[in-house]
Amino acid sequence: MENVNDLKPSDLGRPDGQLTKLDKLMDLPAPYDKPGMEPDFKEIKPAWQEKYCTTLDGFVGVDTLQRPKTKEEEDEFVRKFLSGLEKIFTDANNSSLQPLSLTFEYCAKCNTCSEACHIYEASGHNELYRPIFRSEVLRKIYKKYFTKSGKLLGGFVGADIDVNWETIARLGELAYRCNLCRRCAQTCPLGLDNSIMAREIRKIFSQEMGIAPTPLHNKGSVLQLKTGSSTGINKAAFLDNIEFMEEDIEERTGLKIKVPVDKKGADILLIHNAGEFVSWPENPAAFAILFERAGLNWTLSSSLIGYDSVNYGIWYDDTQAKKIVQEQQKAAQELGVTRIVIGECGHAHKAAALVGDRIVYGEDKVPVESFLPLLWDAVQKGAFKFDPSRNDFPVTLHDPCNVVRGMGIVEPQRNILKIIAPKFREMTPHGVYNYCCGGGSGFAIMNSLNFPDFRNKVSSRMKFKQILDAFADTAADPTILKYVCAPCSNCKGAIRDIFEHYEATTKFNIHYGGLVDLMVNALADLPRPFLTFDE
Amino acid sequence: MFLTLYSLLAIILFLAFSAYKAAEYAKMPMHGRLDLYPIPKEGGRLEYGGSYYEELEWWRKPRHVSHGAEIIDMLKEMLFIKKLFDNQRPLWWLSYAFHLGIYCLMGWTVLLTVLAVAGLNGVAVMGAGAGIILVLKILLGIAGVAGFLLALIGSATLLIRRMADGSLRRYTTPQEYFNLLLIFVVLCTGIYAWSLAPSFDRPLRVMEQALSLQPLVLSGAGVLHVVLLGIMFFYIPLSKMSHYVGKYFSFHKVLWDNSPNTPGSAIGKEVEKAAGYRPHTSWSAPHIKGNGATPGKTN
Repeated sequence: MENVNDLKPSDLGRPDGQLTKLDKLMDLPAPYDKPGMEPDFKEIKPAWQEKYCTTLDGFVGVDTLQRPKTKEEEDEFVRKFLSGLEKIFTDANNSSLQPLSLTFEYCAKCNTCSEACHIYEASGHNELYRPIFRSEVLRKIYKKYFTKSGKLLGGFVGADIDVNWETIARLGELAYRCNLCRRCAQTCPLGLDNSIMAREIRKIFSQEMGIAPTPLHNKGSVLQLKTGSSTGINKAAFLDNIEFMEEDIEERTGLKIKVPVDKKGADILLIHNAGEFVSWPENPAAFAILFERAGLNWTLSSSLIGYDSVNYGIWYDDTQAKKIVQEQQKAAQELGVTRIVIGECGHAHKAAALVGDRIVYGEDKVPVESFLPLLWDAVQKGAFKFDPSRNDFPVTLHDPCNVVRGMGIVEPQRNILKIIAPKFREMTPHGVYNYCCGGGSGFAIMNSLNFPDFRNKVSSRMKFKQILDAFADTAADPTILKYVCAPCSNCKGAIRDIFEHYEATTKFNIHYGGLVDLMVNALADLPRPFLTFDE
Repeated sequence: MFLTLYSLLAIILFLAFSAYKAAEYAKMPMHGRLDLYPIPKEGGRLEYGGSYYEELEWWRKPRHVSHGAEIIDMLKEMLFIKKLFDNQRPLWWLSYAFHLGIYCLMGWTVLLTVLAVAGLNGVAVMGAGAGIILVLKILLGIAGVAGFLLALIGSATLLIRRMADGSLRRYTTPQEYFNLLLIFVVLCTGIYAWSLAPSFDRPLRVMEQALSLQPLVLSGAGVLHVVLLGIMFFYIPLSKMSHYVGKYFSFHKVLWDNSPNTPGSAIGKEVEKAAGYRPHTSWSAPHIKGNGATPGKTN
């Protein structure tokens, strides 16, 4: 196995075994700075090695990428990849052509982006995870097959990589070692973005080769387009959930709230990540309480995809992303609302507000808004009476990348927290320079095989470090409750898994949750706390 | 006479190829939004990276776009390579020396042109000169000497750093070494040719000869320098060294383009036009034309 510091992009074409192994990860701060505080990586099962591509770093993220049984299958795999690679520079890929071409052509290879990457940092500076590593592999393959200079001059222009099943499969896996958080792009002196290259590789695999992680595709966007939600919740189940939520609200708070569903002519269509109904039902409940208190004219939708804001397509497949955006807009148009408000889900913010902004057009296009300015406005108007002492415990804020770095929504959530959480403290860095939770771009829901190990120990490591640093004064004291406010379902999923993996809740009383949950917890007139911190 | 035409052609082709490249990027189809904050034109919100999305019902409010803040940020990046300064200081010293040297040489070329045109129109520009000519000659001397030295030191140290630092070396292709080496050799031959007749009037006279379409009177080293300089001018726009073109698009048309598609807006019309486009190439995965699952095996 190559020394991590000697690995170079052309090594992806090496026929032999696993390219690198993670052994020296970034240190964690106290109380995780002692031996034995962190579970080790699980060993790879021999059966996985036979079936999947484990020869990159030993992890399997793409469970549908399976070893060929015949030479013909192997050749067809390579042929399809090359066909897709050629297409990303054609009009089939118009929506990415300019940014892709710029990053493809102009990278100065100065490595300024490396230290901005939480995965590269967390891995102990393993060469494989430098943001430009996978980009350079893609350049080499493209030059070798599709440029005159590559064909004539070969290695002189960098077209020096062997292309076989192993090369392509490793590259497919490597595309899922980037959270697409775009922090690296903030540092590039040429304004280039390596996450574009990672996403383009994912697109080639999905849109040309029909290969994508099951949780993202078959059990993600495909399921959403068929049933209405990537959780598999159909309309009837959704309506049941709402009924349950109303009962739960009454039980928790004594408030009788009739949650509006399919209310024609409402001002606002609120769309949640449907995962909230399954994993954190207190979150949509808190929204209902706050929206009712604020006197908003709002509704949920029960039409197909109208009740699930997720759009996994934005991580790996433009065509799936487009279909979902259009369905969500259709749901809003049918109800005649004047705006779509996205709840606590970062990637849904990006999908509906930014991706959709270049797909839907015309007078019928329904504007999309984040819940954050809406709630901050209601707070400013005095819609809620808060008793901040109800949140008298250390609170820190995790910034979802898509909300801050991708949309520039930075202040409203802070303004609210400063009012409702007297012990609020920032992480370092924060705001638009935040670190990803490690669950971005699908990682939070990719639980096949040993991929959760990569997420919990590597991609989420920097976030865990930030959380521990933010609570440095109390982190080791289990008698003091600590709360990580993460206003995003995927981020919450990733943070939940970190806390389970490191037993941070059971050992050190560190909890996580949304922003609206914390707001309702601070409502002065509720008979008892809204949040319960069971271990 | 060949060298005169060759050097003028090199400059014309440099400009033409660069313009062509810019036009190629400019006519690329509208792409999906890739806003990356902080975005300078958000003006007052730039400091913390905020945007109009922080406003309630943003689409009903007039947008405040600060072109001044955008220009200031752009100048910081163009003149000082600020992102490299902020994020990788050791490399910045080398890269900035190199780029500052090039800027000085661009200034030197402009001053040579101005003085040569003046000289061709009867103004006494040779020798020390007086008044405005004296000022221009002093600037010419500073720009020329500083330009050659800084660019030479920058290109040499960037080349050495790239060869010596394993983390850069493993990503550098032979062509990328060649790019730096070409510039270094052009600078060396220029300095050597100039050192044979170390006068500020010497390059001015050559510029006069070129602009008046007279044969260039050069030493052997001077001829070599002009030939290599011409090759460099032909080559730069065709290589990734044309990042002076790309940088504009990557910032202004990708990362900082956060104009929303509101009804009746120019963006809205572009989106409509793009939606009506039927591509000549299409993707092949089975799910592209429907909602069905892929044939990929699942567990």
